[in-house]
Amino acid sequence: MASIVRASRSRSGRAARRSARDSRAAARDAAAASRPRFRFADLVDETLAGVFARPARAALTTLGTVLGIASLVATLGISRTAGSQIVGRFDELAATQVTVAARTTGSGSAERAAALLPWDVESRIDRLNGVVASGAVAEVSNPGTVRTVPLRDPENVTERLVPVYASSVGLLDAVRGEISVGRWFDSGHVQRRDRVAVIGADVAAQFGIDRLDAQPGIFIGDELFTVIGILDAAARDEGLVSSIVVPYTSAQDRLQVSRPERVVIETDIGAAQLIAEQAPIALAPNGAEALKVTAPRDPTRTKNAVQDDVNQLFLLLGLISLVVGAIGIANVTLVTVMERTGEIGLRRALGASRRHIALQFLSESMAMGLVGGIIGATVGIITIVSVAGSRQWTPVLDLWLPLAAPLAGALVGLIAGLYPSIRAARMEPVDALRAGT
Amino acid sequence: MTAVDVDPTPVEAPERTPVVLLDQVCRVFPTEPPVEALRSIDLRVDPSEYVAIIGPSGSGKSTLLNVLGLLDRPTSGRYLLDGIDTADLGDAARAAERGRRIGFVFQSFHLLSYRTVEENVGLSELYLGTNRKDRRRRATEALDRVGLSHRLGFEPIRLSGGERQRVAIARALLGEPSLLLCDEPTGNLDTANTESVLDLFDDLREQGLTILVITHDSEVAERAQRRVRMVDGQLTEVA
Repeated sequence: MASIVRASRSRSGRAARRSARDSRAAARDAAAASRPRFRFADLVDETLAGVFARPARAALTTLGTVLGIASLVATLGISRTAGSQIVGRFDELAATQVTVAARTTGSGSAERAAALLPWDVESRIDRLNGVVASGAVAEVSNPGTVRTVPLRDPENVTERLVPVYASSVGLLDAVRGEISVGRWFDSGHVQRRDRVAVIGADVAAQFGIDRLDAQPGIFIGDELFTVIGILDAAARDEGLVSSIVVPYTSAQDRLQVSRPERVVIETDIGAAQLIAEQAPIALAPNGAEALKVTAPRDPTRTKNAVQDDVNQLFLLLGLISLVVGAIGIANVTLVTVMERTGEIGLRRALGASRRHIALQFLSESMAMGLVGGIIGATVGIITIVSVAGSRQWTPVLDLWLPLAAPLAGALVGLIAGLYPSIRAARMEPVDALRAGT
Repeated sequence: MTAVDVDPTPVEAPERTPVVLLDQVCRVFPTEPPVEALRSIDLRVDPSEYVAIIGPSGSGKSTLLNVLGLLDRPTSGRYLLDGIDTADLGDAARAAERGRRIGFVFQSFHLLSYRTVEENVGLSELYLGTNRKDRRRRATEALDRVGLSHRLGFEPIRLSGGERQRVAIARALLGEPSLLLCDEPTGNLDTANTESVLDLFDDLREQGLTILVITHDSEVAERAQRRVRMVDGQLTEVA
């Protein structure tokens, strides 16, 4: 009997529960539909009012975030600036030059190595993929004085000591030389062992040579050479502009030059490393290791090394400050929540839901983080500019940095505000009202 | 001339929905031992009534007010506010109904010190989602109703106690609540200010507002049309 009663009661209880649940769900839906939204403009108002209610406290609270963001921005910006500075030195001219010379360390091996370098570098080097031009050059060791007329005139200084170089045909292109008057010698001159010379613009000025149609002659020591061209510029070897260059064959004949000292190669951009490996073998298959190759360093490696050196410590410091800043915001927001318990109760009584309360404190802590981020980014950028200014660098700033910094600050504030906001939202309105009186 | 045919039987006015209807409401606090703060309370408050609940402290007045204000849930029994069964409302829905239907007046005023009088009043409609301009206009009107339109931009700290309570009343009036719930509204006021607040309640009742005041001050209770005594969690009507 008792069990039947219990069974029927439990069945009716289930039915009642179900109907209650249905009606509850319906009521909830209706309430949700009619539930008004907390306007964004109002949230902004409440947030600003809340933050500026205690301006000194808000300012001190944001300080940690300001320091963190400022050091992050400054570190990233300064290392970027410094990195660009170093990269800037790897200009196109330096990055495409390879020089091969005899190694000068060992006493006997230097001559042996010099003996390895051939004059006909163009036929050996220009075949390599990535070579633009190449040329061999040797300084004439003791050319004697240079003069334009065979007479020694004591009143007019017509004799000078001028460096003289013997070179192969390709040198002009390899050093990016420019001829202003006349021409550079060609392979015909070399084969015929013609006594021709190209003089640098400085030398031409010294000797008063500006026209070549009269085929002016020049004496190097006692050997007469015909001037066929004036070299106006040589980007890779400025010294050539104040020198005289003659074909290596006639230098061999008349100026006691035997072997080239170095080979200058112009490469395509990015090919320098490869050519630096291949050129010695192409020049001297039997003694490549005795040759010294000068090539530009790999620019990306340099940049990375610099950034690694500068960055790590400061990035770490910045992150630590940011964490400290976040803890500061969390702490102060928590204290604020406790102080404003009565206000939370009041707001709940006035119709604020838990979500509204959480949203308000979250947006207050986020606002403090955002302001910290904006000030921090400003301080960081000022630091970058002043450091760059003091070192006479060009400040380089990634565009995303000043945009991302305030967002990072806001994120810090958001994370910092999570726990205090949840605490605030969890307060029972009755307790909050009672505690806040 | 034909006589106008008049229906002799007047139309029966439909029964008005009570603002508050408590049906066997209990509230037990699960302490050790459990405290029965409300014991089977039945209470009906009709629109435009002015009811005072009197009783000694610890009698359960505040618990009753919390239940009526949707700040607390009864352990058992039914509570219909404007005919809505409040048991069916979730937490957020209760908050919304609170904002819409109930105006609170507290003993300690609960004004935000960092906001102006006008902003404090406007706060009442903040969570109803009305726009700022309308809110300001209505806040001004509400302050006008309590005679404080000259204090709009003041900070609460610069007001007298009576003025502060009138600001709090203006805030409670905003949003046209069905019920004004007052918890010891004159507890922190001197005689003159008490008088002005009670006069204000009289005016508001005449304008049709339903007012429920909790007090242990008999002078305050005297001003209400109807008095209910609360002792040990039980209600008795006072003749």
